[in-house]
Amino acid sequence: MPRRRIYNPVTELLTAALLVVLVLVVNRWEFSLGVLVLGVLPAVLFSGRARRIGLALALVTGPLLISSLLLHGLFFPEGERILLDLGIARVSVEGLVFAAVLGVRTSVFAGVLLTTAMTLDIAELLATMTHRGWNRKLVFVIGSAVGLIPHVALRGQQITRAQQARGFVVGRGPFTRLRGLLAVTTPLVIGLLVDASERNHMLEARGFSATVARTSYVPDSDTAGQRVFRRLLVLGVGLCCAVWLIVTVPG
Amino acid sequence: MISLEVESFAHDGAAPALTDVSLSVQPGEHVVLAGASGSGKTTLVRLLAGLTGLDAGATLLGSITLGDQRLRFDGSPRDPRIDAARWSAQVAYVAQGAWGQLSMMSSTVGEEVAFGLANRGVPSAQLRLRVEEVAVALGLTPLLQRDPRRLSGGQLQRTLIAAAVVQRPRVLVLDEPFQGLDDDAVREVGAALEVLRGDGTGVVVSAPMLPLDAPRSARVLALAGGRPVFDGPLAEARSAGLDRYGIGTAGDPPTRTGVDRPAGAGPALVELRNVSFSYPDERGAPRVAGLRGIDLDVHPGEIVALRGPNGSGKSTLLQHLDGLLRAGAGSVTVEGTLIRRQPTGSFAGTVGYLFQDTDQQLFERTVLREVAYGPRVTGAGRAEAGRRAAAALAEVGLRAVEEVHPYELGFVQRRLVALASLIATGPSLWVLDEPTAGLDAPARETVAALLAAHARAGGAVVLATHDAAFADAVVHRSLWLDDGRVVREGH
Repeated sequence: MPRRRIYNPVTELLTAALLVVLVLVVNRWEFSLGVLVLGVLPAVLFSGRARRIGLALALVTGPLLISSLLLHGLFFPEGERILLDLGIARVSVEGLVFAAVLGVRTSVFAGVLLTTAMTLDIAELLATMTHRGWNRKLVFVIGSAVGLIPHVALRGQQITRAQQARGFVVGRGPFTRLRGLLAVTTPLVIGLLVDASERNHMLEARGFSATVARTSYVPDSDTAGQRVFRRLLVLGVGLCCAVWLIVTVPG
Repeated sequence: MISLEVESFAHDGAAPALTDVSLSVQPGEHVVLAGASGSGKTTLVRLLAGLTGLDAGATLLGSITLGDQRLRFDGSPRDPRIDAARWSAQVAYVAQGAWGQLSMMSSTVGEEVAFGLANRGVPSAQLRLRVEEVAVALGLTPLLQRDPRRLSGGQLQRTLIAAAVVQRPRVLVLDEPFQGLDDDAVREVGAALEVLRGDGTGVVVSAPMLPLDAPRSARVLALAGGRPVFDGPLAEARSAGLDRYGIGTAGDPPTRTGVDRPAGAGPALVELRNVSFSYPDERGAPRVAGLRGIDLDVHPGEIVALRGPNGSGKSTLLQHLDGLLRAGAGSVTVEGTLIRRQPTGSFAGTVGYLFQDTDQQLFERTVLREVAYGPRVTGAGRAEAGRRAAAALAEVGLRAVEEVHPYELGFVQRRLVALASLIATGPSLWVLDEPTAGLDAPARETVAALLAAHARAGGAVVLATHDAAFADAVVHRSLWLDDGRVVREGH
C-alpha cells in the first residue's frame, strides 16, 4: 500500500535536502546515527515500498560501505591503536571508527534521497511548481527527465519484441541477455532522437513557448501553512548550521 | 480564415514537394486533403500548422494568411519566421506518429489533454471543465486517469485529437487522424469535429482515400505529385476518376483479390484449443479483455480475419500465434509444434508478425538492412539474406529506396517495409495486425495481391482488421471477437 500523503512533495523534497545539509554540517557520528535510526529507518518502513527502497539502498550503499571499510579499516594512515598488523595493511581502531562514521553518513544521504525519490508524487510535484510560478522550462526538464525512464523502458521492450518476432532469440544466460541489450541500444537511441526532434516541433505547436504564466490540470495541494513551514524550516536549519559552525570551529 | 498560396515549396535542396497549390478554409468548413503516399499532403498540412521548416533549409515561394495577418515568402533568408506559440493558439495540429507528440510531462491522459490550454494560462478550474467536456465527447472519460504512455494506438490517437479539440481553435488540422481507430471511435471523433464546426472552427483532415463518413458539405482538395488534381465537393470527387492518381474511396473493396476457395485439406497449420489468457491488472486501469475459450484451425491456403471492436482481444489472439504471448490455459500448435516455453524468436521461420504500430518494429539504419534482418538472424548467410531482402522489397515495390533510412519514408512506405521484412524471412503463416490501416489505394491493392499469392502458394494468413470491405473481398472466413470470445463466425 502506498503511504498516505501528509505533506506536499515540495515540502518533502525540501525537508530531505535540508536533512542532508544538516548531516553534512553537524559532523558527529551520534547525530548521523540518530537521523538514521529515528528518521530514515521509520521513513523507509512506513513508505509502503520498504522492499524496493531497501533493495535500492543495498545496491547503492553496499559497494560504497564495503570499499570504505576496506580502505579506511586497513589503510588509515593516522591509525595508532592497532588491532591487527598484516604488514602493508593495518587494522586500526581509528580507521574502523572513521569508516563507520563515513558509512553512517553515506547511509543517511542515500536513505533520505532514495526514499524521497522513490515515493515522490511527480505529477503533484510538477503541479505545485507550476502553481508556484516556477519557470516552465525547468519544470519540463524535471518532468521529462523523470517521465523518460518508463518511456525508454517501454520503447526498449517494444523493440525487443519486434526483434524476437523476426527471429532474434534471447536465452536465459547472462551473455545472451547482454547481446539482447546491445541489439536494442542503437535502435532505441535513434528512435528516441527521432521522437525528440518531432516532440520539439509538437511542443511548439501546442503552445509550450507561450509567455503567459502556465497553469496546471492537477489541483494545487500546497497550503499556506506548508509554505510558512518551508520558510521556517529553511530559516531554522540555516540558524542551526550557523550556530553549530560558530560553536565548533576553533579560533 | 486561413489561406495558403504555394507557388513552390521544397525541402532542403530537393525537388519541389508542392507546386501551384492554393487552399482557403472558411469558418465551419470541412476540407478533406486527399492524396496517395508522396502526394505532398503532409507537407501541406504542416504549412497550415505554421511548420514551414525554413530554419531547416526549406524554401517556400508563396504566402500564408491567417485572419488579417498575411505572410509573404520569397525564398530569401529575410523571409518571416512564424511564432509557433501565437500561431498554435489559433491553429491546432495533430500530426502522424502519436509517440512523438506526447508532451512527456503528463502522468495522466487528463493532463495530456490539458497541456495546450495550461501552456496558454487557462485557469485550472476552467481547464478541468473543458477537459471533462471533450473527454465525454470523445469517449475518453474512463481513460482520464490512465498513463498516456500505456494506451493502445487507437486510444492514444483519440487522446491527441482531444488535446487539439479542447483548445477550441479557429482552424483544426489533422494529418490522417483515423489510422488505427475502430468504427465507433471514428464516429465519436467525427461527431466531436461536427460540434467544433458548428462553433465556427474550420477543419482540415488529410487522408489517403476519400472518406466514407465525412459531412456532406465537405470539400476535397486532391493532390498528386505535389500538384492539385481536384478541388470541389466530396460528392463530385467520388465520381471524378481520382483512382488514376491512386486516390480510392474508403469502404471500396480492393480489385486485385483473386482469392480461390481453399481446399482445406491436409493438416492444420495452426490449431488453438480452448485458449484462455488474462493480462495482469494495471493499477487504475480498467480491465483489459484477454481471451476466453478460443478454438481455431487455420489450414494451408486459407486467409482468416479476426474482427471486432478495439480491445476485443484481436491483437491478443494474434500474439499467441508466434509466442509473443503464452496461453494461460489451452494449447497453441503451429506447424505441428506445440508452443510451450520456447523462445519467441524460434518461431520466426514459421510465423511472420506484422505489428499494428509500424514504428515499433523498424530498428535498422537502412531499408535493406531492415528487411534482411529476419533472414540473417534465422540462419541465412549475409549474401542470401541480402538477396531475399531485395526480392521481398521488389514484391512491395520498394527496391528504389533500399538504402534510405526507414524513418525518412512516409507512413505507407514504412508499412510496406515492415511487410517486406516479414516476407523476406519466408514464414508459412503470416500474422498481420491491421495490415491496411492508413494505406493508400495502390498499397492496399498490393497487400491484397500479396495475401492472395501467399495463400495460393500454400501459406496461410491470419489478420486482425477494421477494414470490412478489405476483409469481405480478401479473406475466406472471419471470426468476430468481443470481450475475448469468438461471438460469430462466417464469410
